Order: sequence, then C-alpha cells, then structure tokens
Amino acid sequence: MPQNDKALLSRLKEQKVEFVIIGGVCGVLHGASLVTLDLDISCRFSRENLRRIEATVKDLHPRHRLTANKLPLELTDELCDSLKNIYLNTDLGILDCLSEVSGIGDYEQVLQQSIPHSISYGEFRILNLDALIAAKSAAGREKDLDAVRLLQAIKEKNDQQKKLL
Amino acid sequence: MIDAATLAQMNGEYVMPPDAGPAWRAAAEYGFDMSLVEDALQRTPEQRLELHQHALDMILELKEAGEHHAAK
Repeated sequence: MPQNDKALLSRLKEQKVEFVIIGGVCGVLHGASLVTLDLDISCRFSRENLRRIEATVKDLHPRHRLTANKLPLELTDELCDSLKNIYLNTDLGILDCLSEVSGIGDYEQVLQQSIPHSISYGEFRILNLDALIAAKSAAGREKDLDAVRLLQAIKEKNDQQKKLL
Repeated sequence: MIDAATLAQMNGEYVMPPDAGPAWRAAAEYGFDMSLVEDALQRTPEQRLELHQHALDMILELKEAGEHHAAK
C-alpha cells in the first residue's frame, strides 16, 4: 500500500476541506527526521466538512481501517453526527481524521494553535511546534515521547535563532 | 595524516555544535542522529516533505519485498 501524502493533501485542498495537519507529517514539516506511515489531520466534524472528506477519497476505495470488516466509507447525516474520528485506508494510503487532539482539545482549539505553511501545491495549516509537543506528550506512547525529545531540540534551536535576529 | 578527531567523525561521531542547548544535547545523547535534523532545518518544509516521501517509499518497498520473500 503506497502512502502518498502529497496527493492526499492536494485532494483535501481541492475539495476545500477544513483541516489542520497534525502528527508525524507535521513533525516532518517542522524539521523532525522521522518517518511516519500515515497522514493525520484534525478537522471540523460538520456534515459539510465530512462530505468534503468523503468527496476527497471517494474514488480511492476508502475503508474504515479499524473496523473488523474494513467497512467502506459511506456517510449518512446520522453517521456524520455520530462520528468523532475517521480512520481510513485509501488507494493513496492512510488518512486519519480526528475531531479532537489529546493535549490540545477540539478542532477550534487545534485551529487556534496552528500556523499557515505554504508549499507549492497549496497553503496548509499545521500545528505550531509548542502544540505538537503538547499533543505528542499527551499521547504518551513510546514513539510519541521519542518524537517529543526531537521536537524539543528543534524548538530550542528555533528559539536560539529567533534571539539572534 | 588524518587526526583522531577527524577519523572519529568519518566513522560517524557527531560533533555537538557549540551552541547546542540542553534539549539538543539530550536528543543527541538519546541516540537521534542530529546531523539529519540539522540538514532538515536547512531545507524548506516542502523539501522536508519530499525527503520524507522518498524515505517512506523506500521503507514500504523494503517491507513489501520482505513480505514477498517470506511468502515464498
């Protein structure tokens, strides 16, 4: 199964999904030398936004990757109102969509603690470094705490450079 | 004649930058290759993402090859 983050991000942008990049890819954008096997985003869990996510992946055989039978993504209004997270496997890789991020809070709080990042295929919002450190610390798994060590070093380096300016 | 310090660096010893703070030192001592982070910080976020994609592609190819080999 390939993991094409660029293609997934481009599609999310094209469909005007409201989202913030979190997780490992966010860490990579901040400069962490980590490899992550999925794309994690936090997004508004409104019916409209969830429909946009569905449109983003509709031709990519999206399936709820954590369900026993790998159920296909088929949103209804009722399901939209019940979902808090969507963990998808698609032809372009894994896309995990979260309504809340531990250590930060709901999407509005995630949005408040995000910064814009411009790349050639669009402008995206990513968690700021402090928020990413808070989220990884709260997640608390060994791999997250490893990432925290690295992110704290990058934050320290960034702070040093800011002082020099 | 190559001095011992240069030889050690050739062999992979990381030279701590003089301005390295406690978090940087801790990450290096924990075992992270901080030269990779230094390299990443010199790049644009888009270049970082591209490098990550290359690394990811390689890992997934190796994983697939391993699974294919194990199935034989």
